[in-house]
Amino acid sequence: MTSLMVNFGGLVLMAAIVAWFWWPGSSKNQADNSEPSQHHH
Amino acid sequence: MTDRLHNAGTQVHLAVSGASCASCVRTIEQALLSVEGVTTAHMNLADSVATAGGQADPDSLAKAVSSAGYSAHVLEDPDTAQDNKDAEDKARYRTLLIKMTVSLGLGIALMVWGMGFGGMMVTPANQLTWLVLGGLTLVVMIFTGGHFYSGAWKAFRHHNANMDTLIALGTGTAWLYSMVVTIIPGALPEMARHVYFEASAMIIGLINLGQALELRAKGKTSEAVKRLLDLRAKTARVIRDGEEQDLPVEQVRKGDHIRVRPGEKLPVDGVIAEGETRIDESMLTGEPMPVSKKPGDDVSAGTLNTHGAIIYEATRVGSETALAQIIRLVKKAQGSKPEIGRLADRISSVFVPSVMLIAVLTALVWYNVGPGPEIVHMMVAATTVLIIACPCALGLATPMSVMVGVGKAAEYGALIRQGDALQAAGKLSLVILDKTGTITEGHPAVTHVHAVSGDQHRLLCLAAGLEQHSEHPLAEAIVTQAREENASPDAVEQFEALNGQGVQGTFNGTVVRLGNRRWLEAAGIDLSVLADEAETIARQAGTPLFLAEGDRALGVIGVADAIKADSAAAIRRLHDAGVRVMMVTGDVETTARAIAEKTGIDDFRSSVLPEDKARIVEEMRQQGYVVAMVGDGINDAPALAAADVGFAIGTGTDVAIESASITLMRGSLHGVPDAIEISRATIRNIHQNLFGAFIYNTLGIPIAAGVLYPVWGILMSPILAGAAMSLSSVTVVTNANRLRLFKTTLPKGGNP
Repeated sequence: MTSLMVNFGGLVLMAAIVAWFWWPGSSKNQADNSEPSQHHH
Repeated sequence: MTDRLHNAGTQVHLAVSGASCASCVRTIEQALLSVEGVTTAHMNLADSVATAGGQADPDSLAKAVSSAGYSAHVLEDPDTAQDNKDAEDKARYRTLLIKMTVSLGLGIALMVWGMGFGGMMVTPANQLTWLVLGGLTLVVMIFTGGHFYSGAWKAFRHHNANMDTLIALGTGTAWLYSMVVTIIPGALPEMARHVYFEASAMIIGLINLGQALELRAKGKTSEAVKRLLDLRAKTARVIRDGEEQDLPVEQVRKGDHIRVRPGEKLPVDGVIAEGETRIDESMLTGEPMPVSKKPGDDVSAGTLNTHGAIIYEATRVGSETALAQIIRLVKKAQGSKPEIGRLADRISSVFVPSVMLIAVLTALVWYNVGPGPEIVHMMVAATTVLIIACPCALGLATPMSVMVGVGKAAEYGALIRQGDALQAAGKLSLVILDKTGTITEGHPAVTHVHAVSGDQHRLLCLAAGLEQHSEHPLAEAIVTQAREENASPDAVEQFEALNGQGVQGTFNGTVVRLGNRRWLEAAGIDLSVLADEAETIARQAGTPLFLAEGDRALGVIGVADAIKADSAAAIRRLHDAGVRVMMVTGDVETTARAIAEKTGIDDFRSSVLPEDKARIVEEMRQQGYVVAMVGDGINDAPALAAADVGFAIGTGTDVAIESASITLMRGSLHGVPDAIEISRATIRNIHQNLFGAFIYNTLGIPIAAGVLYPVWGILMSPILAGAAMSLSSVTVVTNANRLRLFKTTLPKGGNP
């Protein structure tokens, strides 16, 4: 049970990192007018 | 030139603190670009100055940078900001040292305490002690590493991640885990009740140490600019309303008359009104010999009056002086990024979030397949990955080297406009030289004096006696030569100049003539004894002038636009560097061939019209050459622009700096091989730095993640990772500083 929770938690964390830093709507990408299509094709 | 520089004044410079890595650069540039009206943004990590171009309110720019997680204030005058920055750096250095001492002190004390009192394991007996120590650690972490946490938070809010993020996560994880162990040890297996408070404190201490060392080394790289700034005089002896007064240099106005005594520095640019002197301009031009100046000649701020007392009229003051413009130019170039540096920026922008993913993944792998106690191993490995992956070395690799390289070039009298030119200069395979003023002096001089009687001194006295009345450039060359050889002009009377033929007069009652062959032969003078000598002069691209007394030929003087004494040597250096050399000239083929042979030029194009030069540059580029064009910067502007690297060559300070990517302040061609060699050394240095930084990260991360564990049982400690990370930036900075010792192959006797 603990093992399942730790693994699930890790995966959720990784998904959160991707979402926060790479999601198309994040402010970073809006300001990034030099390479607008880098992270979302 | 001044107007153009003033138009560039819509740039706002901000002193930024808290930026430490390539990700920060990107964050700051993006923050500036997001402000309305900003068209360009550039952050230079090496001197911590951000520059925004366009029409924006300076305060809103500072606010934008602050909200991105850094503190910033507007630099009113970037020229004088250096002094403030020095003081700030010193204060920051002291602060960092204090913080380092406190955090390292706590870390070491905890380690010693742990070793001496039964380890770092939490037991019911020492639980309370650890709780107190944990609280103490938190206080120390906030005091000595608070800037990491606030920086990380601000970046996080903007969906960004930087070096601060990694440090904050790494030390935060270690502390949080230790706190859980201390408060609820029962929640974890006995083996896992280990605290890592000392790791958090030590890591922050080591990174502070690294940043302190970095700060010190950075100061050294801007020495080139500091040296230029030091050239400025503080006061000027101004004559106003017939009264002399010492005024601060800022109060000197255009049109003021200034007295400068021997041994004093000139405070502003101007024109000599009274007195003659020799002025040492080596600080601006690299030219080692003091230059003679007489009334009407231009003089520049920062140069040294070595000889006589002069009074001169100020023509350019304050930020308009040539010196101020040079300082501005060098600073701008030092802050610019060559192509290679932008690659590092792109990589590091995705680097930090990727590292965070790797850290989580590492933790999961350790948890699932690692040996017990799993929870300890997963925490240690993830923390170590976060700490070792800080891309600070990557962010410093390029700007540090560019800064040193551009400064080094300035030392040799080569002003580089942008980092791109620095990179391109290293790749040159063909240098195209303009003839007049580039290979040659640009003004005629006497190259041959041949007297039938053998008495050349006598010949010069007579020739100078005739020519001293003439305004012609050839006459000037002869009079100058006579003066240099102490040949006093004879008293020639009834002087007469015959346009296109020569000059004549009477000396001791006899008619004397100096002029071209056709004119003298028409006057019935037999010049056959001088035929051989005249042929030699012509073949060497000179103009023969014959001198006759009555109907007797006395001798011949060759006047030519002389090849600069060091042109051949400089061209040899270009060959040594593996660069092909070509000349373009408007002269006829015989002259061009003669010059090419004399200087060792590989190839030449003669009878070239100025507008064709750019076409030739383009043609050679299409043949696959990386082409440099060297010219005087005004007539050659299109060719300079068409070339991969344009070198404007100029003696003294009256050069059109804006027309070329590199300006040679000294008239010598040696500046070209100097720039090429410095550029190659700089790019090599950048490669070493980038290679080192990449290797460090690519090797460091898997080791930190524990790939060596299954084989040798090695798992790196987070403390070691912190030390290694600091070491990597110190190594990059030190390597860049090594470039300061670089010397070009410029022969001895040159300058510097």
